[in-house]
Amino acid sequence: MISEDEIKRLTSQNAELQRKYQASVRYIRDKVDQLLTVMGTSPLKPEELDDETLIGVDPIGIISNSFVQILRHLHRTNEKMKIATDEIKAIFESAGIGILVIDGDMRVLEYNTMLAKHFFDGSSGIIGQPCYKFVCRLEDAKDCPFMAIFKAGESVHQEKWLLHNRYYNVVGTPVINDSNEITMAVVVYVDITERIRKDEELRQSEEKYRDLFENANDIIQCIGPDGSFQYVNRAWNETLGYGSEEVSDLTIFDIIHPECDDCRSEFKTVVFGEKPGRIETKFITRDRREIIVEGNINNILDKDRVVGTRGIFRDITERKRAEESLASEKERLLVTLRSIGDGVITTDITGTIVLINKVAENLTGWSQQEAAGRPILEVFNIIDEKTRLKADNPVCRALKSGETVELENHTILVARYGAERVIADSVSPIMDTRSEIIGAVLVFRDITEKKYMEYRLLKAEKIESLGVLAGGIAHDFNNLLSGILGNIDLARTVYVLRDEVNIMLSRAEKATLMAIDLTSQLLTFSKGGAPIKKMASISDLIKCSIDFVLRGASVRCESYFSPDLWQVEVDEGQISQVINNLVINAVQAMPEGGLILVSAENVIVGQSKMQGLKEGGYVKIAIKDEGVGISRENIGKIFEPYFTTKQTGTGLGLATAYSIINNHHGLIDVESRVGSGTVFYLYLPALEGTVESKAEPPTTDQPATGRGKILLMDDDAIVRETAGDILKHLGYDVAFAAGGHDAIQIYKKALEDGYGFDAVIMDLTIPGGMGGKEAIGKLLEIDPAVRAIVSSGYSSDPIMANHIQYGFAGVVAKPYKIQNLGEVVNKIISKV
Amino acid sequence: MNLIKFDIRSQICPATLLIALKEINRHTQSLEEGTVKLVFLTDNRDALTTIPESVTNMGYSVNVIKDENCYSIEVSGGER
Repeated sequence: MISEDEIKRLTSQNAELQRKYQASVRYIRDKVDQLLTVMGTSPLKPEELDDETLIGVDPIGIISNSFVQILRHLHRTNEKMKIATDEIKAIFESAGIGILVIDGDMRVLEYNTMLAKHFFDGSSGIIGQPCYKFVCRLEDAKDCPFMAIFKAGESVHQEKWLLHNRYYNVVGTPVINDSNEITMAVVVYVDITERIRKDEELRQSEEKYRDLFENANDIIQCIGPDGSFQYVNRAWNETLGYGSEEVSDLTIFDIIHPECDDCRSEFKTVVFGEKPGRIETKFITRDRREIIVEGNINNILDKDRVVGTRGIFRDITERKRAEESLASEKERLLVTLRSIGDGVITTDITGTIVLINKVAENLTGWSQQEAAGRPILEVFNIIDEKTRLKADNPVCRALKSGETVELENHTILVARYGAERVIADSVSPIMDTRSEIIGAVLVFRDITEKKYMEYRLLKAEKIESLGVLAGGIAHDFNNLLSGILGNIDLARTVYVLRDEVNIMLSRAEKATLMAIDLTSQLLTFSKGGAPIKKMASISDLIKCSIDFVLRGASVRCESYFSPDLWQVEVDEGQISQVINNLVINAVQAMPEGGLILVSAENVIVGQSKMQGLKEGGYVKIAIKDEGVGISRENIGKIFEPYFTTKQTGTGLGLATAYSIINNHHGLIDVESRVGSGTVFYLYLPALEGTVESKAEPPTTDQPATGRGKILLMDDDAIVRETAGDILKHLGYDVAFAAGGHDAIQIYKKALEDGYGFDAVIMDLTIPGGMGGKEAIGKLLEIDPAVRAIVSSGYSSDPIMANHIQYGFAGVVAKPYKIQNLGEVVNKIISKV
Repeated sequence: MNLIKFDIRSQICPATLLIALKEINRHTQSLEEGTVKLVFLTDNRDALTTIPESVTNMGYSVNVIKDENCYSIEVSGGER
């Protein structure tokens, strides 16, 4: 049994416990409310949770667990914050810009290394000091624009702020706390000095390039892919004549010449990325003028994509014209140079050949390609004609002396393969505009033919003068022979003589005939007369002569005649005489025997091909022996009269041959080498027409006699006397006249007296007086029916050959022979 | 991801908050591992403030969606 006291104690204890429990619940409830408030929610309401549930739910436990999580989260967040702060600090320090943190009194709260470097490198104790003292280096901040940060609460920007010779972009930004108060400002300094300097450099560079671009003389254009002009320079506008405002309406295709399809396609390929490089084309200007340009096109790339083309061109129209003109001038000069009839070689200052013309190529045997670059001494090899020693090269002398040098006489150019030509030349130094020698020009010509012609001319003149002399002598001599022969003839005709006398007279006549033959040769050789030409076969003539001469000789003869050999018009007797002389010479040149080669062929002589002959067809006769030959000294003299190397020679053979061939308008030439033999060449003009051969009248043995009155005119008394005797013997009455004037007077008087002459015999030429040639004209005036006979020792005179044309009825050669004179006189008088 | 829904409609604060915190505490590990998402359905407007604030302080992500009759407060493992 529980006592009362116990009950009381237990009741009291229960009350106490109840009180403590209530106190505990209150405590828990207070702490829960406190914790809930911290958690941001409202306190617990008693009706929400009764005490028992409160204890059961354990809100403190719940919230404590939540706090654990909150604290853990805060811890993590703090760690992140620390890292972030460190990062910001690092950024602050390492930023390439100056950062300054100031308070409202402009006192320095913080700054970074870069800022210190900009404004107060090496200084310390900056924190807490006014920024203007260290940054702006000023005593106060009254003009500081960044004061506005604190006044207006806004960011302040300052661009290109000049501080201590450097430029800064400065931005000041306020830092505002939760109470919206400006607690500080962050001022950032960006040093832009380098940027400004680079900008300035860039600007100057751009200006420089723009200056170049605009003032360039070349035309510059930039073209878009569609062909439109993106920009052009001033020279472009000026050259093409378009104003700046017009360019935007143009495309490249407006200025490319319509004919220049290549250029159009070129432009298109460039747009597609091709690189054409250098280009020459034609543009058309605004006024439709054509200009030639050359230049480059490049493509403009943007990330490997062609966004346009850039072209730089130069107007070369004038240059082109000048080049064309120069080229044409050069071509003309070159053609002129190559066409010059003389050989021309030009060298540089070292004597190396630069140019050699056609004639020089032919003469030296070196072509332009072969000669160019070779030393002049190699190509122009000259020797002295007489000594055969190498001659001084005139080019070297001209280059050395700077003066024109004429070549020595008797110089021979030895061509590449040994051919030798006599040349004349001169060398002049080539001077440039500063009169400095830059080379030499050698001009030379082949004077081999000229020298030969000069030699022939000299010889011809010599022979002609000798001919005149010989002719004069022969004429007189012939008259004397006329007297001798006529009288011998007359004596033998008129008188019957004893045999011994007859033999003596025959000897005298034979000697006289030989003298006449010699005289005839002299007369032929002299310019006494033209040959009496007839159409003839030269081969027959040659054969006949060879047969005659070679009869009994120890030499063989081979002959060759072209089958279609042209006919010639020659005096057969004279040409036979020439061939006889040449063949005789050949035989005599080969005393031990040998071979004579005779040939005849047709040749055509063109212009200048054979000096001394006119152009046309010729029969060329060659007579070649294997004899001793003619020495160099003698070969120039062989055609001179009375030049002979033979003991028995007259020295007239070749002189006569020369004269005869000359009178036939032909040419005689000789080639000879001592020990090898000699070749004589005869050129006779081939016949173009035909000549009728004249039939000779038959002759009788007895001289023809007759009757009549004859006037005989001759200046030579012996001739007059002899001829008079012959005519009288033949039955004629003879009157005499010594010259033309006498003859005319006598003839006229006889005519007036009614006793006119039946015939007149007149000497063709009277030295120093009127000859038959002149007198016949006068006589014909007096008596158109006059019958005159011309006589002359020059049987070859053209008047003798064509006497009818001159008014003569007949012709008789001197010296007179009874037979001949009788026949002619008889024939003339019989015609009456 | 497991979705665990708690219908705590008709509850008022702070009971709402205490229930939410209790469940979050119970699923702390799963939430942090990202294997579970807790969704609390409530019609107590105060809870729309208290729960997200507390949950955010604890480091979780919160998303409040208004449904027709109530609000869904989704809690998932936040960016730790």
